[in-house]
Amino acid sequence: MLKVTNIGKRYGKFIALENINLEVADGEFLAIMGPSGSGKSTLINILGLLDQKYTGEYLLKDKSYKETNDNYLSKIRGDQLGFVFQNFKLLTTYSVYENIEVPLIYSKQKQTNKHALVEDVIKKVGLEGKEKNLPSELSGGQQQRVAIARAIVNRPNLIIADEPTGALDSKTSTEIMNIFTELNKTGTTIIMVTHDSEVADYAMRTVYIHDGHLYDDEKSVKK
Amino acid sequence: MIDKIMMALKSIDKNKNRNFLTMLGIIIGIASVICILAIGDGFTHVATKGMQNHNTKNKVTLEFTASSDEDTKSGFTRNDLAVLEGIKGVDHVKLTSSNPEASVTVQHKTKKTSATLNKSPKKLKLYKGFGTKVDAGDTGNIFISKDLADRAFKGKALNKSLVINDNVFVVRGIYKIGDFEYRPDIYVSKTIFKQLFASQISQDEAKISVNPSASKKAVGKSAVNEMKKFGEDAKLGKYSISHPDQISKSFTKTLNNITYFVAFVAGISLLIAGIGVMNVMYITVSERRKEIGIRRAFGATAGDIRNQFLIESIVLCLIGGLIGILLGYGVVSIINSFLPFKAMVTTYAIIMSLSVSTGVGLVFGFIPANKAAKSPLVGLLKEE
Repeated sequence: MLKVTNIGKRYGKFIALENINLEVADGEFLAIMGPSGSGKSTLINILGLLDQKYTGEYLLKDKSYKETNDNYLSKIRGDQLGFVFQNFKLLTTYSVYENIEVPLIYSKQKQTNKHALVEDVIKKVGLEGKEKNLPSELSGGQQQRVAIARAIVNRPNLIIADEPTGALDSKTSTEIMNIFTELNKTGTTIIMVTHDSEVADYAMRTVYIHDGHLYDDEKSVKK
Repeated sequence: MIDKIMMALKSIDKNKNRNFLTMLGIIIGIASVICILAIGDGFTHVATKGMQNHNTKNKVTLEFTASSDEDTKSGFTRNDLAVLEGIKGVDHVKLTSSNPEASVTVQHKTKKTSATLNKSPKKLKLYKGFGTKVDAGDTGNIFISKDLADRAFKGKALNKSLVINDNVFVVRGIYKIGDFEYRPDIYVSKTIFKQLFASQISQDEAKISVNPSASKKAVGKSAVNEMKKFGEDAKLGKYSISHPDQISKSFTKTLNNITYFVAFVAGISLLIAGIGVMNVMYITVSERRKEIGIRRAFGATAGDIRNQFLIESIVLCLIGGLIGILLGYGVVSIINSFLPFKAMVTTYAIIMSLSVSTGVGLVFGFIPANKAAKSPLVGLLKEE
């Protein structure tokens, strides 16, 4: 799915990422663990094509998008990627249905298709009957379901989730992680950033990030 | 596109009060422009209507201009009339005078002065004396202007005698001439005018009625040529075609220019309204950084974001424009009950107002919309 070679990122003198090498196979469920400030979010911004200012090479499906123009990048993000954020990042004045529909506004799907796709994911995440509700009328878990539905409505190849359970209690976290596991079973590749080892256990593989460096196992970090 | 407009309406609805206050500038600006244009158009319509009455479709006016300023007698003769009526395409011809007054010399005691003279109108308001007109058959009485009374009689003219071209008349009434009024110095009866003065007035206009099948232009041209050849006074002056429609056109143009200038001045308030729109759009953009980030992450291009805010700004201004037009319409209906003519809201004024509102939205929305489009994505996603 993706291959990262010697990626580095600096903010002035501060080194956010250094010599990152990572490969993720199609259909894999990868967890990236690390404390806050370790560079997790910086790394997934690069993987999610949200940040193009880095050194090294990043190939998504064997293609580098480093020199790609902004409009085409938007299209790739819309077609191939889906994002789930820690604080849900829903549009507060829009209904559940309208939030989920956002990625479809910018894709070239027909209107009838769009409706079917939205209805389909609403069922998948178990939000039937909540279509017209505003996010503020939903619980944290339900809001994160809306965010997941929005991330998968375009049927992306890769889902990037940044602390998807960070704002949820443990029971709700389990529900959300079960949805991710189901999605992964249907072939969707997932990269998830978390600081919670219980959540990371849902993934097939976990890598660790510390002070901008990536490690394959926890022991290496402690060295 | 409809979904984008709906999206814009929704965002505008979210901050109703703020957006309404912003719109108020547009509303007042557009309403004033509508009112000014309506008054201007109404006045132009009334002012040119009179001209158009003289300018009936199938008429050509042939004019004679004497070479000498002092020559007041030459013009079209009866023979000329026959020649003109013989031209192909001419239905009939009427001879008239551009200045139907006679110039005369008047004398009171030994004092001589020149004056203009005409037949009495049907009704005249006198300043001194009795009656409202000089009767048609009256051969001895006249009315004179206060100005002439002052000049010839030092004011005391009533019931005194006045000699006009060697004929003696008695002044029975004195009238005042208003500032915007035109009247001759002396009014005589119809009979006296015909007997003594009509021959002095040259008939220097020939009003030619053209058959509907004939061309006005061609008839006018041959009339000029015929008169050059056969006109009895051809050597004393020039013949030409007058174009009253051109005069009314240039008059309309001048009036329109004045109206547009005043409307433009009112339109300056729209500039200030536009700055208000720009300000509110800046606020909107900075308030919705999170939304911009989300949309960009899920596939919106910078152009999509720019268009979203641009459409919002245009929709805001268009709503303001529409309310402004309605308000302008209302104000015009009210002022119509006070105006001596009818102010008219034309389709042109409505189309122009809508275009101006769209323009204001586009121009003043562009910079904030562009700012939204160009914000760096990573920073936007950090917003909560």
